[in-house]
Amino acid sequence: METLLWQVEQLPGLLAVSRSGQVRDWDPPTLDRALQWGRYFQHLHGRFRAQPRLRAALGQRLRRGQPGPPLGFGHLGRCPELLGLALLGNRALPPAACHRLLRSLLLPPSGQATPGPRSLDLLARRRAAVQLLPSPSPAPARPEELEPSLRTEAQLLLSRLQEDEEEEQGPASVLEHLPGPRVYRVLAALLLEQAGDNAGREGASWAEHREGPRPAAAVLSWLLGDPGRLSAFCRLLPGSVLVALSARYPQLGTPYLHLLTSWGSRLRYDPLRGQWASSRCPSEDEFSWEELRERFSCFMRGPDPLREAALASLKNLKIQDGDFEVCGLSVWTDLLLEMEAPL
Amino acid sequence: MAQDNAVLKLSFQYWLDKAVEWGQTTTLESQQDVCLHLPKLQEFLQQIYESLKHMNSTTAVQRFPLIGQLLGRLCWNPFVVGYDESQKTLMWCLCCLYSNEPQNPVELKANSWILSLLCHLLSSSSEWGANEAGTGTFISALGYTSADYYSKLIKNIVLSLVTELKGNQFNGLNVQGRVSDNHVNVVSLFCVPLITLPDVTPLLEALLTYHGGGSQEVLSSEFLEAVNETFLKKKIALSESAILSLWLRHLPSLEKATLHLFGRLISTQTSSLEEVACIIRESLLPQAACHPPIFRIVDEIFKNALLETGGTPEVMTIIQVFTQCFVQAHQKDNKQHKFPLKAYFPPQQQHLVIALLKHPFGKFCLELFGALTESAFSFIFLSYTDLFESWFLFVHFGEWADIAVEQLLKSEDESADTFLWLLAFYYNPHNDKEQRTQILVEARAVYDRLMMLFSCTTLSITDLQAAASTKTDKRQPCTKHLVRHLLINFLLFSSGGHKIAQEFISHVILASNTTNEVFGLLIRTAYRFNQLGLKNQRAVKLVNELLQELRFMD
Repeated sequence: METLLWQVEQLPGLLAVSRSGQVRDWDPPTLDRALQWGRYFQHLHGRFRAQPRLRAALGQRLRRGQPGPPLGFGHLGRCPELLGLALLGNRALPPAACHRLLRSLLLPPSGQATPGPRSLDLLARRRAAVQLLPSPSPAPARPEELEPSLRTEAQLLLSRLQEDEEEEQGPASVLEHLPGPRVYRVLAALLLEQAGDNAGREGASWAEHREGPRPAAAVLSWLLGDPGRLSAFCRLLPGSVLVALSARYPQLGTPYLHLLTSWGSRLRYDPLRGQWASSRCPSEDEFSWEELRERFSCFMRGPDPLREAALASLKNLKIQDGDFEVCGLSVWTDLLLEMEAPL
Repeated sequence: MAQDNAVLKLSFQYWLDKAVEWGQTTTLESQQDVCLHLPKLQEFLQQIYESLKHMNSTTAVQRFPLIGQLLGRLCWNPFVVGYDESQKTLMWCLCCLYSNEPQNPVELKANSWILSLLCHLLSSSSEWGANEAGTGTFISALGYTSADYYSKLIKNIVLSLVTELKGNQFNGLNVQGRVSDNHVNVVSLFCVPLITLPDVTPLLEALLTYHGGGSQEVLSSEFLEAVNETFLKKKIALSESAILSLWLRHLPSLEKATLHLFGRLISTQTSSLEEVACIIRESLLPQAACHPPIFRIVDEIFKNALLETGGTPEVMTIIQVFTQCFVQAHQKDNKQHKFPLKAYFPPQQQHLVIALLKHPFGKFCLELFGALTESAFSFIFLSYTDLFESWFLFVHFGEWADIAVEQLLKSEDESADTFLWLLAFYYNPHNDKEQRTQILVEARAVYDRLMMLFSCTTLSITDLQAAASTKTDKRQPCTKHLVRHLLINFLLFSSGGHKIAQEFISHVILASNTTNEVFGLLIRTAYRFNQLGLKNQRAVKLVNELLQELRFMD
């Protein structure tokens, strides 16, 4: 067992080396050994996939002391492709070793040579197919209809989160290492997909019905856990998407409304121009009146519970501000007027 | 060897020019041109690889100095990369050109160029990050590779395209949706290289069952032809409704499919009619023929085949088995508005069709035959064409001829003349009254003599031959067919004939070189016995034994 754990601990190092300049010292036998290790790891993955405790132990060992994005048990299964493609793109690999790499990855197996990952021809073909097929019409009719590439990223993220979940890892470790604004878009896509899937699922627990399926609920709590994160999330995504999400994940609706109100309360009326503008504080993001209005009108177009909640909240705020009926004194009055104005 | 190389060099220049041409424009015409050339290009690439794999990289470049240019241009053409197995061959060729001991800067540069080309094809880590803004980094951070990404992406793209196509049709009506006919046409053209990619099959089905607003065909003809070709080569599996849609909207595909089936049946050595029926059913043509227009076209092709081959028994048997498969498919068809069977045949033949359709495999009764009299057939002998049409109809239901012979031998009664007339008509559809009378007279003579021998328990070959022979030397070929048919059945059903069956058949075959005909008659009989569920009767066993013998003789 200890040998196994020690072996598995070599994987991160192997992957790191394959991307680095250290490969310049590799000769063909070294390369062969590396590829063999790759296949061995894949074999381990196949053997222990159905054994949760071993899987968790191996996963833990993989993550030990690793800076940067954490690895998981799934990496063992994908090792040959990860290794092969990384080495292929590594210009430091000397010609002799590279020659051997090409032969084992791409050429048809002859006699004793063990075949490389067969999916590479399919990869080239699929990539060409993606280039050929025209992307469908640019404006999807509803926010739930995701653009294919976004949906793909969401599916892969979900896969990873599900893998981690099986190893008792929360989503935080992966999510923290994903690059900035992109991760929020992908998360939104993931949550929408999951909500769609969940709608028809039988056998889901009451908690799941209320909060969404497990990875989704975990992701939401991660988002809601940090105000800065939540703020960035809500800021980035369009109002329609957020309303769609709030409809399916009630735990998101209230914090979002609070955010809107806190943003709205920073607006100041500019009597010279006759409009609301954000205060000229350079550290805060520019948040315009138009955007606030747009977001609230998304609420108005949304399902009844959300609409009621938004209206109630606006009315409350208006009363707190002094219950003015005239424009220009309270941002909430003005908003209410806009919302209730006939279209 | 040298000749092969010379040929290869010539084609090389041709393909290089083509590759340059394709790279220069992206008009619809040039894209259609690529699609048309893809199969030949793949063959050529395979030939190149076969030469390259025995050389090292320096020799390769000496032999094909412009190979770098060619491969480079082709690798940037997604039509070529996406087609069938071309991407494999391209990558293999690149591997062959990579030198493991570069001697000079040129070779180093070549190596580097090969690697970047491969990275481009496979979206490996270095290329990826640069190309699709941020996707590469994101996916890598998750621990996945471009292989995982593209495998899911293609499925998602296909899904959204299918949704788009289906969304345009609401309850069978055409709603002016988000998709224009032109867009559908372009999508179908771009699918041509991808037909054998399994991920794309749902899109193919959606395209084939898509109906645009106008009356013009919306799908590109390259697409329809390519799908049909791939289907006929069995490189793809599509649903029955998709194939039916294809044949309904594209006549050349239907014709090709029928001819392909025909060719297959003629060239495959089938040892039983069950095999023939199986091949026919696999082709999906009987099921498709439940649509009257398709039936008419297939029938027309069969008719031409019959005419061109001068009515050979093999072709007649094929038509007979096809019709049976068709009738079975028609009966299984559960659609609400099914056409009655007689709707598939010309109106002048309705009464004949009704008579012929009465299932001959049920409890046999003579009344059924009553309808198939000379008068029934001659009712519409107004012209030579009508005569041919009636005969062609009869050929569809050729099992009646087999039954007629059996009845002739088994039951002695006045109907013998009717049966003989039917057989004479089956083998000789000409309108020559004199000729037909002569045939009938000869046939009747042979029949009478055979009936006299029917109950004899011991017979010799000479007895039979005497019965079957004619006084005159000349005998019409059709009469010979008829007599042979009578003889074979005699051997199967008479007690005396049984014992000498094997001997007689070998003798007859040796003498007259009629293996195929005898074999054909026997497998038809075996097939009929099978369908009736007869297993243990003496005749059945004998048929199977004789067939075994004949198969070994071949």
